[in-house]
Amino acid sequence: MDTAFAAPEGTPWLRIPKALAWYRRLVTGAACLAVGAGGALLLFLWDLPLLAGVWAGSVLAAAVVLWFLAGGFQRSWGYAEAPAELYLTYGVLVRQLVVVPYGRMQVVDVTADLLEQALGIATVRVRTAASTADTRVVGLPLADAVQLRDRLAARSESFSTGL
Amino acid sequence: MHGQPQQPGPPPPPGWGPAFLPPQQVRGTPPPPPPRPRPRPEDDVTTGVFRAHWLIIPFQVLAVTLVFAALVGPILTQFGFAWVLVLAVAVVFGSLAYALPAWWYGSFGLREDHLVVHSGLIRRSSREIPLSRLQAVDVVQPLLMQVFGLAELRIELAGGDGSAIRLRCLRRKLAEKLRAAVLAHAAGLSGRSPEAPEWPFYRLPFLLLLGALTFRVPVLLSFVLLLLLLTAFAVFLEPGALGGAVPLVLGLLRYYWGPLARYTDFYASLSSDGLRLRYGMFQRRMQTVPPGRVQAVRVVEPLLWRALGVARVEATVAGYAGARQGDSADLLPVAPRGRAFTLVNEVFPDSDAAVVPLVVNRRLLANAAGVDERLFVSVRGLFCRVTEIVPVERMQTLRLSSGPFAQLRGRATIDVDTPPGPVAARAWDREAGEARRFLDALVERARRARVPSAGTERWATRSTMHGESAPRRDGEEGPESPTIGAPKDTPGT
Repeated sequence: MDTAFAAPEGTPWLRIPKALAWYRRLVTGAACLAVGAGGALLLFLWDLPLLAGVWAGSVLAAAVVLWFLAGGFQRSWGYAEAPAELYLTYGVLVRQLVVVPYGRMQVVDVTADLLEQALGIATVRVRTAASTADTRVVGLPLADAVQLRDRLAARSESFSTGL
Repeated sequence: MHGQPQQPGPPPPPGWGPAFLPPQQVRGTPPPPPPRPRPRPEDDVTTGVFRAHWLIIPFQVLAVTLVFAALVGPILTQFGFAWVLVLAVAVVFGSLAYALPAWWYGSFGLREDHLVVHSGLIRRSSREIPLSRLQAVDVVQPLLMQVFGLAELRIELAGGDGSAIRLRCLRRKLAEKLRAAVLAHAAGLSGRSPEAPEWPFYRLPFLLLLGALTFRVPVLLSFVLLLLLLTAFAVFLEPGALGGAVPLVLGLLRYYWGPLARYTDFYASLSSDGLRLRYGMFQRRMQTVPPGRVQAVRVVEPLLWRALGVARVEATVAGYAGARQGDSADLLPVAPRGRAFTLVNEVFPDSDAAVVPLVVNRRLLANAAGVDERLFVSVRGLFCRVTEIVPVERMQTLRLSSGPFAQLRGRATIDVDTPPGPVAARAWDREAGEARRFLDALVERARRARVPSAGTERWATRSTMHGESAPRRDGEEGPESPTIGAPKDTPGT
């Protein structure tokens, strides 16, 4: 299975720094906190303290599982710049390998939301005419992300073949 | 060909196969110049400013007044009939006061190979469209416009839902001239070049359309159910049975009557400007898909159609986004299977979908995929067989994915992504190592097929598109035809 999702010959996977895992943990943690605390409070107000406890406990368990999965998810990410294509791999449950030819890239942009800015990371988003594939490189340090975008934009120009 | 009428006997473009040379008399004589009894300003559409036919004003006023009468009228009748009349007159004049200047200022015209469209009254907008980027051109005539001899010109660009240009209520002659000029500009020629000659490809007999649309399992089942419900209603006088009939009737209207009315009098022809389709009874359409604009094609053969030997051809064209995709996706609604695959070969020149070596997936029923130098082909479906064909140079992204259970079994699926449309080509559930080899082969072939100069803009004035590909075709026929995996199966019979 690993050989099927291996990097293209000659270019090893470039991995994503640990900050991505922390990003995921913070996002899922905040979501779990909101869902768990809100649900528990409502159940408590409805005079169901037992259910409130069960709810809070199950959400906490989910948060712990997600906490540990975040590390695996971060390790699963990788990208490689082959001579004519960008390779991406990600996913733990559903493993994916995405090949984006440079000539097919229509738009390359860098985005960073507030939390990403706080962690100093950014997302490079590559758009092609097909909308079915998720073609992003997440969690790169901002400077690397900008460099990657510039490289990809330059290559998409030089490999361009129209639609 | 386009633009060289002085040449005797315009040769067909290199892409079209030899089987579809036009009849000799058509080919031998240059297209006769259109008769011009008296020159009118719209004979030359390349200069000047045009606007919609003035009939659009009464249409708009009438539509607004009718909507007003239908929505607000019932409430106003409580205050007396005079009020309705007064307010209706006010609405008529109000909408006239808007429609008249909007018509006058909503002008358009060709400027070199750009189309400039001015529109809007409160928010003035002016769009300049480089015609070399157009994806498809349609002339549409709804029933009401047919009565008045008007037509709508739609120019599709590859920019999603909002990017189509619609020029409504044009005189039919003007719409057709504009269509020709726009296509000529897109082909890189002068806008005054005459319309490219065409040669017939396929005319769909009405009986075949009717028979094929009827002869489908869901339609037949719906008819039987409907009859049962109606007899149940007649015998037991149970009104509930009619309630059950409503969704059936709606479904039949959508999937039986809809295509029947839309594709009556269907006629497809080929020209150097691409594929031209004319069809429709209540809404006449003339659709032009220029060469190289078709991103992917699928041939659908429902269970009972396979007994008849007919198929439907649908295509992904980048311009037809969103809701229009469903209306315009069909290249051939019903055609004999052989014709359908011939059309595929015409749409993707220098390739033959029938000779692509297919690798059968032994774990799944009726599932195969294969790739050669030009095309990716996947065939799936035990009952309704769907053959999806994507030229390797048009593939956008390639994906190898494996879900949790597939990972346990060591299998993976390859998706070949194309712009949004009916085609979703994939090789299902392959052994992981084989899938990766398949993916690498696809990547390699796509890289070789994407010649940087082979864009599809201005197709008439460049030779790279067909010239580059001609020698490759010869190599492909050689003995070292590349195969992935062992067994061979061809979709053609």
